[in-house]
Amino acid sequence: MTNAAAPPEAGAAAPICEVKGLGYGNYILRRTIYTIIVLFIILSLNFVIFRLMPGDPVRSILDPQMTPEAKLLLRKQFGLDEPLEKQYLLYMRSLLRFDFGYSFSTRMPVKQEILDRLPNSVLLLGLALLITMSTGIVVGVFAASRRGSFLETLVTGSGLFAYAVPAFFLQLILLLVFGYFLPIFPIRGTMSVPPPPGGLALVLDRIYHLILPVTSLVIINIGYWALYTRNAMLDALSQDYIVTAKAKGLNRSQVLYRHAFRSILPPIVTLIFLNLPTAISGAVVTETIFSWYGIGRYLLEAVLKQDYPAAQGAFYLIALAVLICNFMADLTYGWVDPRIRVGRGGDRG
Amino acid sequence: MKEFWRRYRRSPQGMIGLFIFLFFLFLAVFSFLLTSYHPLRDRYLADRMARPVWMQIFPKYRDMPRTVDLMTTARDWEISGEPGIEAFLIKHEEAGVITFLSAEKGRGEEKKLLLEQAFLYEQTPPRTFVLTMQVKPELPENLSGHLALDIINPAGEIFALWSEEYTGARARRPVRIDSRDQALKRRLQLSPFAEVTEEIFTGTGEYKLRLTATFAGEEDLLFPQNGRLEIENLNLRILGRLHGVLGVDHLGTDLWSQLVYGARISLMIGILSAFIAVVIGTGVGILSGYTRGVVDEFLMRVADVMLSIPTLPILIILAGLLGKSVWNIVILVAVFTWMGPARIVRSQTLSLKERSFVEVARASGAGDIYIMLKHILPNVLPLVFASMVLLIPVAIIYEATLSFLGLGDPMTATWGRMLHNARGFGAFTELAWWWILPPGLSITFLSLSFVLIGNTVDDILNPKHRERS
Repeated sequence: MTNAAAPPEAGAAAPICEVKGLGYGNYILRRTIYTIIVLFIILSLNFVIFRLMPGDPVRSILDPQMTPEAKLLLRKQFGLDEPLEKQYLLYMRSLLRFDFGYSFSTRMPVKQEILDRLPNSVLLLGLALLITMSTGIVVGVFAASRRGSFLETLVTGSGLFAYAVPAFFLQLILLLVFGYFLPIFPIRGTMSVPPPPGGLALVLDRIYHLILPVTSLVIINIGYWALYTRNAMLDALSQDYIVTAKAKGLNRSQVLYRHAFRSILPPIVTLIFLNLPTAISGAVVTETIFSWYGIGRYLLEAVLKQDYPAAQGAFYLIALAVLICNFMADLTYGWVDPRIRVGRGGDRG
Repeated sequence: MKEFWRRYRRSPQGMIGLFIFLFFLFLAVFSFLLTSYHPLRDRYLADRMARPVWMQIFPKYRDMPRTVDLMTTARDWEISGEPGIEAFLIKHEEAGVITFLSAEKGRGEEKKLLLEQAFLYEQTPPRTFVLTMQVKPELPENLSGHLALDIINPAGEIFALWSEEYTGARARRPVRIDSRDQALKRRLQLSPFAEVTEEIFTGTGEYKLRLTATFAGEEDLLFPQNGRLEIENLNLRILGRLHGVLGVDHLGTDLWSQLVYGARISLMIGILSAFIAVVIGTGVGILSGYTRGVVDEFLMRVADVMLSIPTLPILIILAGLLGKSVWNIVILVAVFTWMGPARIVRSQTLSLKERSFVEVARASGAGDIYIMLKHILPNVLPLVFASMVLLIPVAIIYEATLSFLGLGDPMTATWGRMLHNARGFGAFTELAWWWILPPGLSITFLSLSFVLIGNTVDDILNPKHRERS
């Protein structure tokens, strides 16, 4: 989601709790408890959403020709004959074990289906993040070091671009141009069917299928990274110690890379975790467009097919991943922010 | 206000944004003037994925046929001169109703009536035609009716498109003959891959439609009998391969109409959800910032939790579960975006609360609610307005994304839905860029316009926020 890549969610994980006179350990404890509470709330919401909806989840798989006994058995199988509070407890217990029951449409365990798809999603998002981050940072540093250049204008303008262009449209255009108009890249799928024989051919085939989706994600997110890096660098370059370093007679690149760049590394680590939740949420769109065999597409297909256990499992996993990222962002943020690390604190409300 | 406009006018960014916005507003308000077709209901306006008319400038598409509509009235038909059979045709006052009566006198097994209508077709062969009509039989028990429809090409070949046997009396029923129908191909003894139109439309010239009505009963039945067959709204549409400003989609609905009406939906959804979100956000923000304490803690924690929920996935799930409707999307998007404005308003309220005019009001005995409404609210409004404008593109893009993913309202034409259909029904394999680009660019430019306006307004009303990027 491009729009989500912009400010609203970026600030999401910045903790607004007021740390006054607390040490880093205490801070971690507070964030941990907070994260667990949020997880609990999300799980409960999930339960409410899926169980209290109009219509019985079993109804969609019921065959009108089934006997009443068979229907009852099926309801029992899904635990729908229990009272609501017991269903809730059962639900909580099963989610903690990642046991989401059986998919309505395929009758396979949802856990298995998710595990099949998870590596693909991780591969896609991980690779995209790695490339976006590395190129974004390089571009950002260059933009900061060459003020007023075309590159800098491009970087500052990219924020606007990311805010207005819907991710899915950009991906559709890439697909149209490089998948259909110039049929260079595959238009769908995670790998060729049937997969090519041999180890190297298999790897190359995977890479071939990855190029288009990864490129699209890089284009969507690179501006955000470059802009952040540029601003952080400009900030760092205006600090006193840089002025000192310059005065000392260090040359430009030494100042740039030894001093300024090193000082912006910690906030960039935070940025990874701040950026990941939107990337994970956006996977639904990317995976659907490129027919990628991953969790995001699984979620959408489950919702469209009213396959509740599958949708629930996929959403749980996405929400958990987002929550962990937010938590990690809090941790690194706290570690980077001396006010928290040292424990002097300040009102950041 | 005047001062605001004077400063706004000086910002090129803001003016560009305003012009783009006004352009789409114009499309939205005057959509009924800009197109005469319903975006979804008027189907089969042209052949599946017909190209825009202006593509005629390319030699490759110059000779592509346009849609020919043969709306017939009873008057257009002529009784074909089959020797020995006298027939009666009642020309009803309502145009378009053809009534066959078994009114001929005499004895016999069956009575037959033939009607013919000639029309000129002078374009390159079409790919598809659709013939629709409604038939209402009213037959006594001892009589059965039979209707048949043939088409005769200039070469004199006869193609028996359709025929049906009728008994008794029935309500009006639609009949639809589609050249792509496999049953029709079997009937004409063509291969499943053959095009019916290629067989029929072999050249330009005079084509004929022929309707045959036969009334039959036992041998030696005494006519006239009180039987009738009514045909209403007989319409032959030979679908063209060029249509309108942007062509048509897979169902033959007008894409330009969808684009124009889509502007309406996008603007409405964007503005409405942003408005609701901002109303919630302002309420929560003022309450939180003014009261502090437990209420503040609670509301801000709620906002935190909401922010921790991955927005797009939860929107997908809720839109899927609550049903596909525009209002659901408006409300859902608002429910998951109010947190940003709430935080902004809260921090502004915190600082306003310490200002002297609030202290004076409080000292002079004003109640909390009075202060919140009369002193805090007016002062946060500029901020609220700017954040609302900046929230509109977010809402527009969420709606477009949901529609694109197939969770949009099936009864409304939206840009996201256009792209959803483009993806699902072959616009990509046919490289139909005129179908894909306009809705996508519209979403982009409309969102961009609000970002530009929002930033400008923010710069003018809230100078403190100036340095943001």
